[in-house]
Amino acid sequence: MTGNGIRLDKVNLHYSLAAFKERSLKALITGAFAASNARPAVHDIHALKNICLEIGPGERVGLLGHNGAGKSTFLKMVAGLYPISSGSRYVQGTVRSLFDLSLGFEPDATGRENILYRGLLLGLTPKFMRSMEEPIVAFADIGEFIDYPIKTYSAGMQVRLAFAISTMVGGDILLLDEVIGAGDANFMQRAKARITKLIEDSEILILASHDFGALRDICERVLVLHHGEVKFDGTVNPAISEYKELTGASA
Amino acid sequence: MTPYVLGIYESRYFWTHLAFSDLRSKWRRSFLGVAWSIVQPLGLTILLAVVFGKMFHQNIVEFAPYILSGMITWDFFVATLTGGSLSFVQADAYIKQYRHPLAIYTLRTTLTNLMVWMMASLSLIGWVLVVKPQSFGWCWLAAPLVFPLAAFMAWPLATGLAYIGARFRDLPHALTLVLQAMYFVSPIYFEAQMFRNGGLGALLDYNPIYHLLEIVRAPLLRGEWPTAANFAMCVAAAAFFSALAVVIGRSAERKVIFYL
Repeated sequence: MTGNGIRLDKVNLHYSLAAFKERSLKALITGAFAASNARPAVHDIHALKNICLEIGPGERVGLLGHNGAGKSTFLKMVAGLYPISSGSRYVQGTVRSLFDLSLGFEPDATGRENILYRGLLLGLTPKFMRSMEEPIVAFADIGEFIDYPIKTYSAGMQVRLAFAISTMVGGDILLLDEVIGAGDANFMQRAKARITKLIEDSEILILASHDFGALRDICERVLVLHHGEVKFDGTVNPAISEYKELTGASA
Repeated sequence: MTPYVLGIYESRYFWTHLAFSDLRSKWRRSFLGVAWSIVQPLGLTILLAVVFGKMFHQNIVEFAPYILSGMITWDFFVATLTGGSLSFVQADAYIKQYRHPLAIYTLRTTLTNLMVWMMASLSLIGWVLVVKPQSFGWCWLAAPLVFPLAAFMAWPLATGLAYIGARFRDLPHALTLVLQAMYFVSPIYFEAQMFRNGGLGALLDYNPIYHLLEIVRAPLLRGEWPTAANFAMCVAAAAFFSALAVVIGRSAERKVIFYL
């Protein structure tokens, strides 16, 4: 066993929304004439509250929670994208994350060029990406379009290509956020097989999903998030009933 | 600090690729393509040289390379700083997906504009070789130093501006104004002697742009070596802007993602 793992101690995360308050001249002038309660105030959001947990090698962890419970924020915090406002975050191992798949394509460049670009974004070398190009093209299976600019692609084709690139290389820690929405039935099937392989190769998996079946199949430990707090940390079935109870109560 | 610099080195393939792809997309589907970066300043120079030459009774042939050297250098700064102040906003799709040091996105802008500037310089070198071949000599070796010096002045400055620009979107507009003011107090089109004659020598001596321009102008236009003071001022400016970027970045670097 390697020393890969995640340790979070009293982690708090606030979204800083100060920049989105309207500070424009227009707002200042119209504000002077409008009623004082016309515009709702924007406050910083306390997205993750006092999270303490440890995830060791070999663990398959599911994240469950209502929309806005903090699942994606949790994943992005683990990936190091969002800064924590207090507490300590310790992540050992290479992190590979599949979040917004079709972000970051260059619309004017061809599919082939974008394979290279995406790989470089993920920190890989041009040499390695050239060796990966053919398998990626084969998996995406979008025919001659691979040599056309991305802006001529349909939404489904973009997702297929993005998926093919992003899942080509795994990591010690895999973060998945409700991936795979588009693609036809045939592609979905191959995508599932690919994800399963990635999951098997990774040492730690964190999967955010509303699909109870997937959680039961893949994870042995589930965290239930509710308004930014970890309400439950344990095995799958009790977690699902806890989640149902929480959302049923709050609905 | 060291891991940050290491991160910039490790992502070198990514930012060099971004810079080259910016260049490619800049000239995509254009007939003259990259030649525009030579034709554009050259055309404007001819125009200005004719007008200024008539107005100030100067020798057009000699005055033109002076304008050209000023213009292409200044264009580099304007493009890098105004473009750089929006570098993070432009790269939001990357920033939201992968954790690279943010300075690579301003480095991308700097590199792109540096390459455009280098291409534009070819027209300057050609012009000087034709009209003033007597200035050619060993001192020309000093001239290429202008590129790294300018890059290390513009990159940190653009980075500092990008941190601020991510949050305050008024910045690019304000910056245009500031740069226009800077342009009037720098010897870009007007000869340095005109500033000195007008008692405005301080605008030259404490102006890093003047010293930077001297690194090109002294060898190419006059056949002289640039002075040590020219280099010292450029290095000092680069160090100052770098310190500024570090100070701003220390608190802003991690928060940028919230403002995109």
